[in-house]
Amino acid sequence: MSLAGTSQPSAAGGGFHRVAFTGKASEYFGIWIVNVLLTIITLGIYSAWAKVRRNRYFFGNTVLLGRAFEYHARGLQILVGRLIVLGGLIVLNVLAALVPILVLLPTVVVLVALPWLVAKGLRFSARVTSYRNVRFDFVGTAGGAFKAFILGGLLAVITLGILSPLASRWVGRYIGTNLRYGGKAFDTDPRLGPLYKSWLLSLLIALVGLVIIGFLVVANLPMILAMIETPGALTPEQQVPLITSLVAGYVVLFVTFAVAGLFYRAGVRNITWSATTFDGQHRLMSDLSRRRYTWIAVTNVLVTLITFGLMRPWAAVRMARYTWEHTGVAFAGDVGELFARIEAQGSAIGAEFMDLEGFDFGF
Amino acid sequence: MVSEERAIAGGDWHPAGSSRSVAARLVARGGRIAAVPEGGDAALAEAPSGRAEISVRVGSIPRRVTFADGSVFETWDNDGIDRYLAANGRGGAGLVHWLEQFRLRLVVVVLAAFVLGAGIYRFGVPLLVEVAVRVTPPVVPELMAKGTMQALDAATFSPTRLAEAKRREIAEGFARIAAISPRGAAGYTLNFRDGGAIGPNAFALPDGTLVVTDQLVTLAGDDMEMIVGVLAHEIGHVELEHSLRQLYRAVGMAGLIMLIAGDVGSGVEDVLVQGGGLVALSYSRAAEAAADRRSVELMARAGFDPAAIARFFALLEEKLGDRSGTSMLSTHPGTPERRKDILDYARSLSGRQ
Repeated sequence: MSLAGTSQPSAAGGGFHRVAFTGKASEYFGIWIVNVLLTIITLGIYSAWAKVRRNRYFFGNTVLLGRAFEYHARGLQILVGRLIVLGGLIVLNVLAALVPILVLLPTVVVLVALPWLVAKGLRFSARVTSYRNVRFDFVGTAGGAFKAFILGGLLAVITLGILSPLASRWVGRYIGTNLRYGGKAFDTDPRLGPLYKSWLLSLLIALVGLVIIGFLVVANLPMILAMIETPGALTPEQQVPLITSLVAGYVVLFVTFAVAGLFYRAGVRNITWSATTFDGQHRLMSDLSRRRYTWIAVTNVLVTLITFGLMRPWAAVRMARYTWEHTGVAFAGDVGELFARIEAQGSAIGAEFMDLEGFDFGF
Repeated sequence: MVSEERAIAGGDWHPAGSSRSVAARLVARGGRIAAVPEGGDAALAEAPSGRAEISVRVGSIPRRVTFADGSVFETWDNDGIDRYLAANGRGGAGLVHWLEQFRLRLVVVVLAAFVLGAGIYRFGVPLLVEVAVRVTPPVVPELMAKGTMQALDAATFSPTRLAEAKRREIAEGFARIAAISPRGAAGYTLNFRDGGAIGPNAFALPDGTLVVTDQLVTLAGDDMEMIVGVLAHEIGHVELEHSLRQLYRAVGMAGLIMLIAGDVGSGVEDVLVQGGGLVALSYSRAAEAAADRRSVELMARAGFDPAAIARFFALLEEKLGDRSGTSMLSTHPGTPERRKDILDYARSLSGRQ
């Protein structure tokens, strides 16, 4: 691997420098299984350090212009953050169980605290990430997190997904406009038109699933009616096709909605990243193939399950490689000159020691 | 000029907090470690050997050497750094990295992880559940029950409208059963309520509070022995501490999935959660079966028909014809099997006597 990043000429004609992922399944396998083993032996305490090793491996193998990203969090920090959140949840739930009037207390507190924790968590994730010795930072507020994640999520659910693109736009804007690198801002404004276009395809996939289930119901209608009118009237032999259809319907529902979700996720990533700029002039880009992304995600789950988890490291590396290799940055002007100028800005350095991980929100 | 100079690794040097980089090499000389620019000799940064912070090895990602002034030397040459660390008695790449390497010994790690993981699932979680149930002070189930009762009274229950005589008949049968139970008659309180939206039902709270709804008594018609059989089943739940056990088990399983499955990906996690739900369901079916058997035992010892609760299930199956889908139990596919198991168990009990 060369470290010739600085001398690399800027790509001509707004060409994109693609991100490379250099992780290897065999290498990550060892890291992963040792993480699992030590986590079990320490009854979960090591999981904080396991997360650090995992993230250091993935960040350290994500390479742009010959230089890797870095993850700087410490295991102890993550452990303390988790203990505080866990302790808070336990206290709340015990209170709610003991004092019946407070039964809604945990829900209320979580709803109020969640945006705050999300904002804190994103800031933590940003501040423990560096590229070329300069840290990222995140300046989003709890109010912004509330709008993007809770309000957006609520609207998407209430409207049965019709407003999902709006929620995706809010999330993209919240993260994309509050992210900083060396004191300079990222900016993004994913437009609703393309988001809805992407959403429409997922809707069609979900509809196909519903149509299949409709067919199953119609095919079994006589038996279902018989079942409702006189339960127990069906012999076990008659029940077999019914139960088979029931299971098939459930699997169809699970799979089509998962596929629709994956298509949508890849589409949103493409749209959001490609609408993002850094410092007002350098453009980011994502060009995942939605079909390929979905194929990788689905086969990853299958292979992981079939091998009792042993192929999970392979699956994780495969997905990281695919997504990063379809991500790029176009720099305006000379790259070497650009990176000779960027300096860390006060607040982001070292400040992560004051931060707690809170919730996991990678970016 | 410095004499003895030993090269450690080549890489890039960054001033503190700056993305500007200088192609440099890391050298050890005169008991110090220094970053020196390529083709130069004056140190960009240096520190006494052992005072520069060197990041721990993970796979083959770049290593960082951080100097006291905050400047950083970065290199992909992990082996060079490890050789330097080993030569200075600082353990090379470290034990964790040694374990992680893709060598034959990794098989041992894999086996250990699988065996320990299965062991925790098979023995660790049940053991923790037992311990948790033992150390839970009685005040916890009492408070839990009190809260649930208040909530149900406020939400759906209203005072019973059953005839006094009917209630007394059930209460007397219930007292006979409760007296034989290890907790004794004082360990239980029987409540009658109009079930409202809940409909025909009977349930036990972990502190020994039992509730039977008017709708269930009406459903039973004149067969009060059957109601006593159902209540004996609920006593079984209290005796065997099923609700606490189920609560702790759910917590334990969630913890286990989080623990082992720390990184299995969201898709696999979804599947695991679905699977966990199925396991919990089978556990609750096992709890129902255990309470059924307890009902048979208690009824037999109190001089009632041991299989009285089986009549209740027969009634359920029969009545469901015109009460389609009102009861949660109606969708329970195992009802005929439960009835058969109860009858078999009752027969085997009487055979032994």
